[in-house]
Amino acid sequence: MAVRTIEIRERVMAKNDELASVVRKRLAAHAVAAFNLVSSPGSGKTALLERTLADLGDELQIAIVTGDVQTQNDAERLAQHTDKLVQAVVTGGACHLDARQISAALDRIELENTDLVFIENVGNLVCPASWDLGEHAKIVLFSVTEGEDKPLKYPKMFRESREILMTSALTGEGMDGWYQLLRDAIDR
Amino acid sequence: MASPCLIFYSRPMHEMSIALEVGRIIEHRIAADRLADIVSVRLEVGDEAGVECDSLQLSLDVLLASPPFAHTKAEILRVPGDVLRVSQVELRDGSPND
Repeated sequence: MAVRTIEIRERVMAKNDELASVVRKRLAAHAVAAFNLVSSPGSGKTALLERTLADLGDELQIAIVTGDVQTQNDAERLAQHTDKLVQAVVTGGACHLDARQISAALDRIELENTDLVFIENVGNLVCPASWDLGEHAKIVLFSVTEGEDKPLKYPKMFRESREILMTSALTGEGMDGWYQLLRDAIDR
Repeated sequence: MASPCLIFYSRPMHEMSIALEVGRIIEHRIAADRLADIVSVRLEVGDEAGVECDSLQLSLDVLLASPPFAHTKAEILRVPGDVLRVSQVELRDGSPND
């Protein structure tokens, strides 16, 4: 029996990227900036957003989309700091948010009355690196206790992120060298 | 103070999500009445694609053993970089006497 080979050559992420492009256009149409916060679990994404809402919530209209495998605990924490919509996305097992979920979340956000959208992704340094959500930039959060070699262990996430934000810092003996090792890891 | 709105999904883990997307791509590109004739599906997976190949292989094996596919084999080729794509399918063509 003959076997015929058919060339497909289609990127697996093509459909997600197409949806992400639509999200990006929707945000641009309303001049809304969106940032996708990514990190390990417990690095301080929710704490950073709590502080951001407390400091800037009166000046800027900030909407938030949180992603968690289970529970809407983070969304409930953040909702205490804002009158704007906090949209909780419970993935029910998936280790990342995707563009379809962000598109659905945007349906519930009044973009015409919004300046900024923060997406708090599922705590994970692997999978969220591969999924474009239509954000303007990924920002990876990082704490000292994670180790200075994190950028070497998770190169794609650090490469995909426009900014690296340290959410905890230590000073004292040996820490200058530690920060230099971190910079070297990032540069590599 | 606002109350959070909730959207609940039941999505599979990363590699099964990718396997399902591979299935969607194949179903989009190959006629529905030929899906059971697909012998193999070839994927290119980059070393930096963030994909655990053993897990993806298992997910694809489960997916491609079930209708509309029929005992289709998944072949994963590791390549440099972060590419992740369906490269080829092999289709049983013609009658058994061909």
